[in-house]
Amino acid sequence: MKHWIILLFGCAIFAQNDSIQQLDEIKLYGNFSKKMTAGYHVVILKKDSLKTTQHTLGNTLQNNANLYFKQNGNGMVSSISMRGSNASHTAVYWNGIAINSTLNGQTDFNSLSAKGHNQIEIRKGAASSVLGSGAIGGAINLRDKIRFNSKKNLELNASLGSYNTLHLFLKSKISTPKLYAKLSVEGNKSNNDFPFLNTSLLNENGAYYNHHINAVFGYRINPKNKLHLYSTSSYNNRNLSRSLTAPSNAKYINSEKRVLLQWLNSGKKYSSNAKFAFLNEDYQYYLNKTNPTHAVGKSNNIILKYDFSYLINRKMHTKIGLENKFLYGNGSNIDHKSQSNIENYVSFHHQPVNKLNYNISLRKGFSNIYKIPLTMAFGMTYQLNPTLNIKSNISTNYKLPTFNDLYWNHSGNENLNSEHNKTAEIGIQFKHNIIDFTTTTYYSKNKDLIQWRPTNSFLWKPVNIQEVSNYGVDLNLALKHKINHHLFEANFQYDYSISKDNHLQKQLIYVPFHKANSNFTYRYKTLIASVNTQYNGFVFTTTSNTQTVNAYWLTHLQFYKKLNTNLNIGFSINNLFNKAYQSVAYRPMPNRNYNLNINLKI
Amino acid sequence: MNKLTKLLSTITILLLLQSCGDDLPVENPPRGDYEHGYFIVNEGPFSNGSGTLTFVDNDQEVYQNVYKSVNDNEDLGNIAQSMYLHSNSAFIVVNNSHQIIVTDRYTMAKIAVIEGTNINNPRFFVAVGNTGYVSNWGNATDPTDDFISIINLETNTISGTIEVGEGPEDMLVVGDKIYVNLQGGYNQNNKVAVIETASNTLSTSIVVGDVPNSIVKDSNGNIWVLCGGKPNWTGSESVGKLVKIVGQSVETTLDFALGDHPEHLSIDGGKLYYNLSGKVRGLSTNDTMLNTDEMPGLDGNYYAMKAENGMLYTTNAADFASEGTLSVFDLSTSTLSYSLSTGIIPTFISFQ
Repeated sequence: MKHWIILLFGCAIFAQNDSIQQLDEIKLYGNFSKKMTAGYHVVILKKDSLKTTQHTLGNTLQNNANLYFKQNGNGMVSSISMRGSNASHTAVYWNGIAINSTLNGQTDFNSLSAKGHNQIEIRKGAASSVLGSGAIGGAINLRDKIRFNSKKNLELNASLGSYNTLHLFLKSKISTPKLYAKLSVEGNKSNNDFPFLNTSLLNENGAYYNHHINAVFGYRINPKNKLHLYSTSSYNNRNLSRSLTAPSNAKYINSEKRVLLQWLNSGKKYSSNAKFAFLNEDYQYYLNKTNPTHAVGKSNNIILKYDFSYLINRKMHTKIGLENKFLYGNGSNIDHKSQSNIENYVSFHHQPVNKLNYNISLRKGFSNIYKIPLTMAFGMTYQLNPTLNIKSNISTNYKLPTFNDLYWNHSGNENLNSEHNKTAEIGIQFKHNIIDFTTTTYYSKNKDLIQWRPTNSFLWKPVNIQEVSNYGVDLNLALKHKINHHLFEANFQYDYSISKDNHLQKQLIYVPFHKANSNFTYRYKTLIASVNTQYNGFVFTTTSNTQTVNAYWLTHLQFYKKLNTNLNIGFSINNLFNKAYQSVAYRPMPNRNYNLNINLKI
Repeated sequence: MNKLTKLLSTITILLLLQSCGDDLPVENPPRGDYEHGYFIVNEGPFSNGSGTLTFVDNDQEVYQNVYKSVNDNEDLGNIAQSMYLHSNSAFIVVNNSHQIIVTDRYTMAKIAVIEGTNINNPRFFVAVGNTGYVSNWGNATDPTDDFISIINLETNTISGTIEVGEGPEDMLVVGDKIYVNLQGGYNQNNKVAVIETASNTLSTSIVVGDVPNSIVKDSNGNIWVLCGGKPNWTGSESVGKLVKIVGQSVETTLDFALGDHPEHLSIDGGKLYYNLSGKVRGLSTNDTMLNTDEMPGLDGNYYAMKAENGMLYTTNAADFASEGTLSVFDLSTSTLSYSLSTGIIPTFISFQ
């Protein structure tokens, strides 16, 4: 199935953050830019590694950035754990707007597409004081870039994979010195009925269909003022597949709509960015797809956001921000609930000497429902010598209770408080000729984590009770070597994470101790061959750490051939060694499968 | 003791006995490793897993994963709900796999799987002679498709169904009748359906209290139904009731206080026991009033509870995501006799 391709079409998959700065033509520093991330490790997936991917966002990140996802079966709901944190402790943004579900606080990475966006920015580590609620394990930003540069192009990408897996992607872009317009449409469909290896079962009831439409417009009023409009609409219709022990007849339909209007104004010393966003999420769950009875849920968010950057001098820069959110949720289990909150932050960046730059930030919010704590962060990057940087940061962070936690009929707890986190990390980056090596070690302490617990008569209720310590190491190594026309690239990533419930003294379920990923790419003239190998360590499935999902190795192969300047074709073999493996217990993932794709660019 | 060693020692003893000549009395050979003791049915993780069986022998030796270890590492299925022992067979109801697993009740070796469209969300099993009965919710969100499947035990196949009201749960065999608690499934019902086994038809539905959750019979053939009442979160909370049925009509009803929601009725030695808000209470079948005395020392929101031979067997499902425990109390002294670790979410206890 195409979801398992790894593809390295283009340059190195993670360029370090110095490449971002030059993109900011005006002096507005995004929250993932160098000036705002001193002391943090930021990974950027560029458009070259996104444009030919056939995957969902989750698989793209898993194959390229060594992130761990817990997938409830292939194509089913997929949640992330960054640095051993839980699924709602990775904050996901879309052009700077937080898009984690208002209802459950998580993001389903199989519901999002990687492709419509120009780049994906991954900021590892805790950064609530700049980014807001939930940025604890890390944060991911899906970014659409607008440039006024008189270019136009049309891209078409079609692929056909095993089990009737179809993928179509069309993108058109027009840009003039005054105007910018981009439209992308993507559709995916699969029977997803692969056989479960070593059994007589198939992945029954696994069919899915989804589409994603992105439209982006830009208008340059004058050199100082620009208007940007981003909009996206996605629709996912999935049957929820069977497990090894239970058949399923369930169906889940979810859709998201988002609109963001942004006015950028900049002068010589300042820039200002006013945003208005409307977000809508909606789901329907059918326990039995042949029966019309179903559960529903939806939320609407209105977000007003204002960021102002001011360049005090060439070495000092400050940014302040204000964000006002109006949230509304309703559905079978939530009865017309709404809340509003307002959050403010201030951040200061300074480069006192060439070798050192640091960032301090402070954030405080207010809500009509719960207390939003004061949080702060300090991060610094110090250049020991031209090849070696030291990065370090320390921060306090938080996550707000979700609508499900607060308002679930009969069970929700309106007295819930925010979850609290403290994190410190230190790492080095070594860059020399062909080598780019980064390693970071971190320690993080979480308290007041919200956990649903059975009460008398087995009614479950959420309470601020769990304490978790996380610590571990990330390693990233990128090598690039060219001999005549032969280009070799290698990327290796390894994460070790301990995530321990302090009361039970046990590792959290579905957090692997070990996770590794490698990509080797070879290019020769018009040919590209790449191999992706992943290792997923075992995970515990019981809180007593007595049962596990086994570790597995996974290998994907990919070939590309450029036929002419406009056209290339690709072929991939996923799960090359036909390994039987599971991400979630009793939910087998696809066996060996194939994908053929064709890519046209005019 | 390891089962293999147990088997080998049994064989050795048998050989010894044989070689000792004909004048020694020959004991009945054991019919299997699981002849003497009791089973605990563990639901297993709510999604993505398998239920298991724990066996405790008369020496309180504990065997986990009994079904899987006997049957070639095969999983029992998703959400094991209950078990019924009849003749030489055991019938294990696996709710979310929509199957009844039939095994030899002494060796636990698999004999058959009963499944098909007429097993849908099965809950409990009972048998009369050569016919088995399974209570089924059908589609859990449809209140009108609930039924009892009729099983031919000679072929282990489904021979028909009997429509009943919403949420058939626990069943009780009394002579040639089966009394079915219509607990209500995801909703709340208030009846006991009576099935005539001679004709396999629904003879009547007796209105009891809201949410009948457990049913037992006493030595006089009277039927006792414990109704939990509608819980507070329904917005129409109602009182729990202990209802005595004689024949096909309600003879007496004892009301609990509003807000009290009793469950887990069982009977032992002419005494009824149930759990209320984490405490165990008992009363005699002759009592005309509810006894408010709590049995000291028996505290816990038991996930399953059963009185048997002077002992009270209780389970605790802990956090529902790890192994549970079983605690056995002496009813005469209210003291803990022993406790042991079970599988995940221990939901049902079945005695050989």
